[in-house]
Amino acid sequence: MFEMMNTLELKVILAPLILLPATFGALIFGLLLKGVDRILIARLQRRIGPPLLQPFFDIIKLMQKQSMVPIGAPRKLFLALPLLGACSMFLAIGLVPIPGVYEPSAQFGDLLVLLYLLAIPAIVLMLAGSASGSTFGAIGFSREMSIMLAYEGPLLLVIVSVAIKTGLSQGQFITFSLMDIVQYQQLNGSFLFDPWMWPAVLAYLSFIPANLGIPPFDIPEAESEVLEGPLCEYSGPALALFKIMSTMKTIVVLALGIALFCPGTNTGMWAAVIFVFKCSLFFLLTKSLLRASVGRMRIDQAFLFYFKWPELLGVVGLLLIVLQG
Amino acid sequence: MSFITNVSKQSPWLYRINAGSCNGCDVELATTALIPRYDVERLGCQYCGTPKHADIVLITGPLTARVKEKVLQVYKEIPAPKVTVAVGICPISGGVFRDSYAIEGPIDKYINVDVNIPGCPPRPQAIIEGIAMAIEIWKERL
Amino acid sequence: MKMIKVLLNNLIQGPSTDPFPFGETFTPEGLRARIHFDETACTGCRMCEHVCASGAIRCEDSEKGMKFTVWHNSCTFCGLCEHYCMPKAITLTEDWHLAHKQEDKYKMIEQGIVALVSCEYCSKKMIPSGPKITAVAYQGTNKMIEKLGKICPDCRRKHSAKLLSKGTSL
Repeated sequence: MFEMMNTLELKVILAPLILLPATFGALIFGLLLKGVDRILIARLQRRIGPPLLQPFFDIIKLMQKQSMVPIGAPRKLFLALPLLGACSMFLAIGLVPIPGVYEPSAQFGDLLVLLYLLAIPAIVLMLAGSASGSTFGAIGFSREMSIMLAYEGPLLLVIVSVAIKTGLSQGQFITFSLMDIVQYQQLNGSFLFDPWMWPAVLAYLSFIPANLGIPPFDIPEAESEVLEGPLCEYSGPALALFKIMSTMKTIVVLALGIALFCPGTNTGMWAAVIFVFKCSLFFLLTKSLLRASVGRMRIDQAFLFYFKWPELLGVVGLLLIVLQG
Repeated sequence: MSFITNVSKQSPWLYRINAGSCNGCDVELATTALIPRYDVERLGCQYCGTPKHADIVLITGPLTARVKEKVLQVYKEIPAPKVTVAVGICPISGGVFRDSYAIEGPIDKYINVDVNIPGCPPRPQAIIEGIAMAIEIWKERL
Repeated sequence: MKMIKVLLNNLIQGPSTDPFPFGETFTPEGLRARIHFDETACTGCRMCEHVCASGAIRCEDSEKGMKFTVWHNSCTFCGLCEHYCMPKAITLTEDWHLAHKQEDKYKMIEQGIVALVSCEYCSKKMIPSGPKITAVAYQGTNKMIEKLGKICPDCRRKHSAKLLSKGTSL
C-alpha cells in the first residue's frame, strides 16, 4: 500500500551536510541549543529532562526508519519538498553575516534575498500539508497559511525600517545590504540601545515565536490536536529533513536578529563565543520561558493578535525612522 | 553500525491507540508522560501525534467489534521496526469484558504483541517498567 | 508575573521526579497487587470464584484436592476475593512488578492445591478446617474444636448429636 524512499535520495540529502562546514556547524549548534532548551523546559516544570544530545539521537533514529508515501499523494512532490526546504536553509546560512567571524560578499546576497529564503520553509510546510492527501494535512496547510500571512507583515516592516535608517545615514534612501547595516552599527552603536528603534526591536521579538513554532503560536505544526498538521504523513528520512530545516531556520532567524540589532565590534575567536552566547541567551529566554508557561492560542486569536500589536509596532517604528531622517 | 544503533535506541517515540478502552489506562499513560513525578522523557521518549512517527505502540482497551477495522488500519500505518505493548488487562485477555458479544477477543489474535503490562489500571511505575522492557526489545530489532 | 515567580521557584526547588527505573521507588501501603494463596487456610468454599469480577479464578476438583488457579493477566486487583474469603487464604500483596514479555503470558499465575485428608471416623476424603477458619468461626480454640476440624461434616453432626443426647456441652 505504501512506497518506500530510495536510498539514493537519502545520499543526495546527506551530501551537502558533509560538504559545507558552515551548515554543519550551524546544524550542530542548533541541535545543541534545542537540547538545552528541552532540559531547561523540563527543569522549569520540576522534571528531569531528556539527555543533552537528545535531538541528535532523534534525527539519527529517524534516518533509520522506513519512509512511506501515502497513495493519494504525488510522490515526487511529496519527497522533493523536504529537500527543497533544507536546501533553502543551507543557502540562507551562507547569507547571514556573523559579525567578526564571517562576512558574505555584497553580491552573494542581501536582505531581500534572505527575506525570500526565509519564506521558503513556511511555503514548503504548506505544500507538504496539502500534498499529503489527508484531511489533517489540509487543515495544517490552511493554518500555516494564516499564520504566515500574519507574521510576514511585521517582518517586512522591521526590515524596511532598519534598511531605511541605515540608508538615510549613508546618503541614499534605503540600502538592503546586510554588510552596510552591520558596519553602520559597529561604528555608531547598536540599534538595540537606540530608543528610536525600540518599536522595531519589539516587533521583531514578537515575530519570532510565530516563525519558529513556539507556544503560544505553534499552531500549524507539531500540534497534537491536528495530528501534527502538515507533517502528519511524513516519516523516516523525509521527516528528519524537516526537523533539520526547522533547526536551521532557528539559527538563521536568530543570527538575522543579532545582525540587524546588536552586532558587536569584536573579532576573531572571541566574536564567535560572544555570538554563540547572544544567540543562546536570546533564544532560551524567549522560547523556554514561554513554552514552559503558556498554552496555545487558537488560530483566529493569533491572527488577530498579529494584526494588532506587532503590526502597529512595525508601523510606528517605520514612521519614527522616516520622521527622524 | 552498532554505534548508530546504540544512539538510535535512545529515542523511542510512543504512540497510543485506544481500542475501545474505558480510558482508565489512557489516564495512566498520560500521567507517566506529563506529570513531573513519573517523567518518561528521561528515557528519551516523546509522545507523537501521528502513527507515522511512532516506534513503540501502546494499545489499551479490549478490541471492540466497532473499532477493530480502524485499529488494524492504523496499526499498519506505523513504520517498521516497531514494538507493541499491551497496557492493562483488557488487550491481554479481554479483562472484565471477556466472553462479551461486543469484543473481538484478546489483541494477540490480530497483532503481534511484545510486552504485556497487567493491572487495571497498572501503576505508572509498572508502565515505565514495561516501556523500558519494550525499549530493550526495540534495540534488538533495529 | 505570577508565572515567572512559579517558574523561578520550580528552578530553585529542583526536579521532583521519582528516580525509577534508575533508582529506588516507593510503594504505598495497602496497595493491591500480586495475589498470594495460602493452601493450608483455604476451605474450598469457592466464594472467590463466585465474586471474581473478571473470572480470573478457577477452582477445579482433582484427586489430590482442589486446584486453585488465578491468572494475573485477567485479574482486576479489585480485592473482592480477599474481602469475601473468611479464613483469608487469598491475600493481595504489594508486589506490582508484573510487566512481562509475551512469551510469559500464560505463566503469570498463582496456583495452589488444597490437599484432601481422610476423616478420622469414616475415612472419607475431605478438606480439613484449618486453624484460621476455626479462629473466625469460634473466636478461640480448645481441644474439642480442634477435633471437630478433623472430621467430615456428616460425622460432625453425628458427633455433636451424640454429645447433646448425653447432656454434655461442647
